[in-house]
Amino acid sequence: MLSRSADALFWISRYIERSEGLLRILHTTYVLSLDRGPYANNSWKTILEIFSYLPKAEKAELEKDADQILEHILMDSRNANSLRIILTKARENARGMQDHLTKEVWEQVNFMYHMMYDHQLSSQLKTNQQIPAIERLLKNCLLFTGIVDSTMSRGMSWNFMNLGKYLERCLMTIDLMEQQMIDNDLSEEKDILYWRGVLFSLSGYEFHLKNYRSNEANDNVIHQVVINDSFPHSVMYCLQRIRKYLDNIIEENSPEDPAGLKRQFGRICSSVEFADVQMIRGRGAPAFLKQTGNHLREFAWALSQTYFSYS
Amino acid sequence: MTVEELLEGYSHDYSWDEMMEKTMLRSHYQPLFQKLADLDFSTISQLHQQASEMFMSQGITFTVYSDDAGIERIFPFDIIPRIITAKEWQHVEAGIKQRLKALNMFLHDIYHDQQILKDNIVPSWLIASCPHFTREVFGIDVPNNIYVHISGIDLIRGDNGTFYILEDNLRTPSGVSYMLENREVTKRLFPDLVNTSQVRMVNNYPLLLHSILQSLSPRPVRDPVAVILTPGIYNSAYYEHTFLARQMGIPLVEGRDLVVNNHKVYMKTTRGHQQVDVIYRRVDDEFLDPITFNSGSILGVAGLIGAYRKGNVAIVNAIGNGVADDKAVYAYVPAMIRYYLNEEPILPNVPTYLMTDEGSREYVFNNIEQMVLKRTNQSGGYGMLMGNKASEKEVEEFRLKVEENPREFIAQPIIKLSTVPCFLDGRIQSRHVDLRPYALCGPSGMHIVPGGLTRVALKQGSLVVNSSQGGGSKDTWVIDQ
Repeated sequence: MLSRSADALFWISRYIERSEGLLRILHTTYVLSLDRGPYANNSWKTILEIFSYLPKAEKAELEKDADQILEHILMDSRNANSLRIILTKARENARGMQDHLTKEVWEQVNFMYHMMYDHQLSSQLKTNQQIPAIERLLKNCLLFTGIVDSTMSRGMSWNFMNLGKYLERCLMTIDLMEQQMIDNDLSEEKDILYWRGVLFSLSGYEFHLKNYRSNEANDNVIHQVVINDSFPHSVMYCLQRIRKYLDNIIEENSPEDPAGLKRQFGRICSSVEFADVQMIRGRGAPAFLKQTGNHLREFAWALSQTYFSYS
Repeated sequence: MTVEELLEGYSHDYSWDEMMEKTMLRSHYQPLFQKLADLDFSTISQLHQQASEMFMSQGITFTVYSDDAGIERIFPFDIIPRIITAKEWQHVEAGIKQRLKALNMFLHDIYHDQQILKDNIVPSWLIASCPHFTREVFGIDVPNNIYVHISGIDLIRGDNGTFYILEDNLRTPSGVSYMLENREVTKRLFPDLVNTSQVRMVNNYPLLLHSILQSLSPRPVRDPVAVILTPGIYNSAYYEHTFLARQMGIPLVEGRDLVVNNHKVYMKTTRGHQQVDVIYRRVDDEFLDPITFNSGSILGVAGLIGAYRKGNVAIVNAIGNGVADDKAVYAYVPAMIRYYLNEEPILPNVPTYLMTDEGSREYVFNNIEQMVLKRTNQSGGYGMLMGNKASEKEVEEFRLKVEENPREFIAQPIIKLSTVPCFLDGRIQSRHVDLRPYALCGPSGMHIVPGGLTRVALKQGSLVVNSSQGGGSKDTWVIDQ
């Protein structure tokens, strides 16, 4: 496979995974912001921290107006992480990769791109149809995942796409969790309402209710989001998937220094795999997550040096 | 609705109409119009709408650049197919085969012995002054002596229905993906008609092309590596490049994906460098190799021509073909056919006046209202002057340009292109069309896809069919009748 193709495929998945995450966080925040509860006031901050590059003062200004935030996060072409821009980039990559994607996958990416420029969406956002609009977009992200799963052959394209997808998902989980905890004192026990936003955003609220019965919400959520490998958005689950696709890729492509990449990734993996909640909290959960995130980003860079450098 | 009601108000201002003979429907159009009459106008409108949506959702678009922002448009598609009978097609096919055979021999000759120049059939100055005569490839032997593997020959029909050759496209003709997609869309719109009309198949084109590419490999290996070289996603024909790559199952590469080492071409893959045997390039000659040609180009690959000269890589189409589809050299193609094949041309040229000849120049400008002036090195409907539409001032300006650089211009009498029915603004109207059949030529012979791309001038009365000038396209049926 061409290095340029591998690069583009990796990024198509990353962008769509990012879109899905963005939409889910947006949906959760929007719905929760309608409730008057003890934790509603800081709810928009997280999404702006993750998906906007605006200066602090402008963010603070924006936080007061939900509709403007929606506009900024979904449609603003000046925001490099807005959904419109992310999907445009995904589509641009897909356009160049049509010989590696199935026709169905390409058509879905193309459709999502056209949705972002369609007047139906902008009019929905203006006429109090925000929730149906976000849900429709989210459905299409899920549809993309399904179409990829049922039409793509299990070759190199598949491996690179999945590598991108789970790397992005892992980083998103880490960022979201970190943002949720960063300014808050976790020594006092929070109740489930405090964590509800994060859990909804990671599609893990029902999972939590079913699997965690005790009242130690802080410990439980950290366990679910970091360690529990049956939760598909947990850090551990993502790392396991990355390991699998990385192994496939190394096996097929024999880079000059396969051991180097493997070692680097193995260190990240084991730091999570052999951690427990007490240890994580002992070190400070935000610091632990930050470090894992940084290591993962270094790994992604090494990966691109190995497989994607072509120009 | 009856067929008469359907066709109410249909007029075809003195051109040859392919559907109507005076007031009678030609027999090969009858089943189609019977079917359309069974629907009503609103259903036909719906089909038209459906077709546009299909093109948009599949991303079959081209990019128009205005105000620096690329806008994506679909190539307008008219849902009423154009029908060509088996008899007409037989004639066209024979004519194209003959012409391509001669053109191919001409290219071999011009880059080797130049016998045709020595025998004074084609004047030497005409070739020497042709910007596409590529001295850099003189003497290079190409596999099987084939220069023109892929070509699109533009045909038009004049007043009495005669087919004329308008233009030869021997470099990187585009549009074949539209031909194939148009057929796929028509199959969805009129499945029953396509079935009963016995329309000849076009969709084996990618398979034929693939087998030709494979057969050209200089390396005697079982599974040679063929690639398509594209200028990238900003090229207006990018959709077609991806389409062909997907249909043939071969990699779509850009110049930056390739590297030449020791006169061999490699592509940079995740497994390291992999040798490339055949390149179907959609990049123009002058951008192919910054060492040999345009040194500012980043679309090509440094050292490619060296590898080509050594015979380590096959390039499709051959480099330097532009000398044979120059609009002034065009005037000599009938002479080439007589010279190389000792045959009379089956398909006539449109009469062509070289502006280098003073007598012709005078004649052309004295009869300018019946003439079209064209630049020899431009296409896409640019650089043209239609004598019957131009103002006196425009003619004078053009005359100055012609006198300054007579080699760069030719003139032809304006030919009223034939008309076919189109569905526009909710009713059936006649519009002018041309026809571009696609020919493939490999070691095992020549194959011309039955039909080709019909381009339509969507503006009423317009004779310019180019997509850049508001043209559209139609599915083209060759039927066994």
